[in-house]
Amino acid sequence: MPVRPKNRPARVGARGLLAAIIAGGLVVIALWWHGSLGVHGLAGWLTGAGEILGLLAGYGVVVLVALMSRLPPLERGLGTDQLARWHAMGGRYVVSLVVAHALLIIWGYAVGAHTGVVSESATLLTQYPDVLMATVAGFLLLGIGIVSMRAARRRVRYETWYYLHLYTYLAIALAFSHQFADGTTFLGNLAARFWWSAMYVTVLVLVLWYRVAVPLRSYRRHRFEVLGVKAEAPGVISVYISGARLDELDAEPGQFFRWRFMTRSLWWSSHPFSLSAAPGSDVLRITVKNLGDHSQALARLRPGTRVFAEGPYGALTPADSDRGVLLLAGGVGITPLRAIFATLPGQVTLIYRASSERDIVFRDELDAIAAARGATVHYLVGSRNEIGGDPLSPRVLRSLVPGLDEQDAYVCGPAGMTAAAVRALRAAGVPRQRIHFESFEF
Amino acid sequence: MRRVILAVTGTIAGLVALLSFKSHVPSVPVAATTGGSGGSLSSSAPSSSSSSSSSGGQTTTVPGEFPQGSLASKLTAGETAVDGKAANTAYGPVQIQLIKQNSKIVKVAVLVQPANTLHDIQIGAFAFPKLISETLAAQSGKIDAVSGASYTSAGYIASLQSALDK
Repeated sequence: MPVRPKNRPARVGARGLLAAIIAGGLVVIALWWHGSLGVHGLAGWLTGAGEILGLLAGYGVVVLVALMSRLPPLERGLGTDQLARWHAMGGRYVVSLVVAHALLIIWGYAVGAHTGVVSESATLLTQYPDVLMATVAGFLLLGIGIVSMRAARRRVRYETWYYLHLYTYLAIALAFSHQFADGTTFLGNLAARFWWSAMYVTVLVLVLWYRVAVPLRSYRRHRFEVLGVKAEAPGVISVYISGARLDELDAEPGQFFRWRFMTRSLWWSSHPFSLSAAPGSDVLRITVKNLGDHSQALARLRPGTRVFAEGPYGALTPADSDRGVLLLAGGVGITPLRAIFATLPGQVTLIYRASSERDIVFRDELDAIAAARGATVHYLVGSRNEIGGDPLSPRVLRSLVPGLDEQDAYVCGPAGMTAAAVRALRAAGVPRQRIHFESFEF
Repeated sequence: MRRVILAVTGTIAGLVALLSFKSHVPSVPVAATTGGSGGSLSSSAPSSSSSSSSSGGQTTTVPGEFPQGSLASKLTAGETAVDGKAANTAYGPVQIQLIKQNSKIVKVAVLVQPANTLHDIQIGAFAFPKLISETLAAQSGKIDAVSGASYTSAGYIASLQSALDK
């Protein structure tokens, strides 16, 4: 029988979250409206626009951090990959807001004070309280934004990107005081200052709680340790991790943890890896494809290495349903689906897309599971040229899975494959709300 | 790409809508009340008998090339000081003092001015010298507002007029 926790935590869906973010933005605009004394002339327009954008940026950074705070309702509702995409998209927007805010304020103040833009910039930097700090913060955010976009294009190492992101906390702290010291919105409005500070403090507490306190507490409770490492396929390894009282984790097949292996070279960052087998009561298994320095180092893990685990995360957790279920895996995206395939009751079909025969992980296990439960596995192996066309076309999918449009579909794979698979499923007639997917690149 | 265009145009459209709603300027309340509201700075008033400058009570003089603070103690023979009423503007009250000699305006001092932010002070430093020289030239309350400083100008003119009416 599948492991299924009795009380699932609350979930916030994409629409609910978007509505909440927009509502917050409207409150921020109302705050400006309340505090603004009226817009007059070119200087008033420029300064007013600068103030609004600045306030939205001050609110935006809080939202961005909150998206990454590992808040369980968000992690369950949207999934980490979607949160990361929102964070990346919103990050670009907020950095643009910050830049536009600075330029508009300089220009507007220069027009108002009848000075040049350069001399007004100097005045702002040297004489307005805390503007210098905020300027440093602005450049930090801009730099982080640029590096993240390069990281997304794989031109910057993950480690560089990761370290640089820690500076966002510094930037947020540096930029905070100028909001009250110079912002006309907060001047003489104690309530606004109070609630604005409360918003920042709340997110800080969320981050400290869910990213620091919870993993520590979880370690004390469960004492995770590396049990052993096993090679599965070229460049693919499984790590077995033992721990106490693992049933209390309420982990479900399809979910992942963020793992921090306490060795000299790995301790500084945690990485998300899916459970590749249904969680046992004293052992968990993850399976990792050799993608970078980090995954390479995992192959050399010794038994007994201490492990911190944050989780479980992930919204790729099928609910029981009367309909059939299609699992569609790409490459190492098989890991969470392998766990689901082994445990989900009902009629299940697994389609496994891999670029070569050698890259197939768990072939023996999958065949054994399929035989034991009378389910079907289809391996789609080879490049497009070898197969002769796109294997993930609506036509192929329909022919492999009879009654596809009546089924729930779960997709996990690289971002490109996931997007293509979702399009194909939609074209094959599967309704959008029955397609669940997670891409593992975050 | 479509999202980028949507975000940019949406933001700009929202800003324009907000700002143009806000630009229907509320009439500047030129109340005859002295003082009180906001954080306007009254300039130093050394042992002046004039009743004015009761707001805030701080005695900072802000940078700017124009007389600030009461000149009542520095009058020469034949000069009289007349305080205008404090005129409230959206940014804080403005109050001026006229120095007359034989009913001719010879000096104008600023007693109270908006100084909540450095920006207010910058605007005052720019606007007051112009307003004062206009006043000395016109010898009446019929002077033009300084562009870019419409609130300060309105407050100045209102306070000036109340001093002239005395």
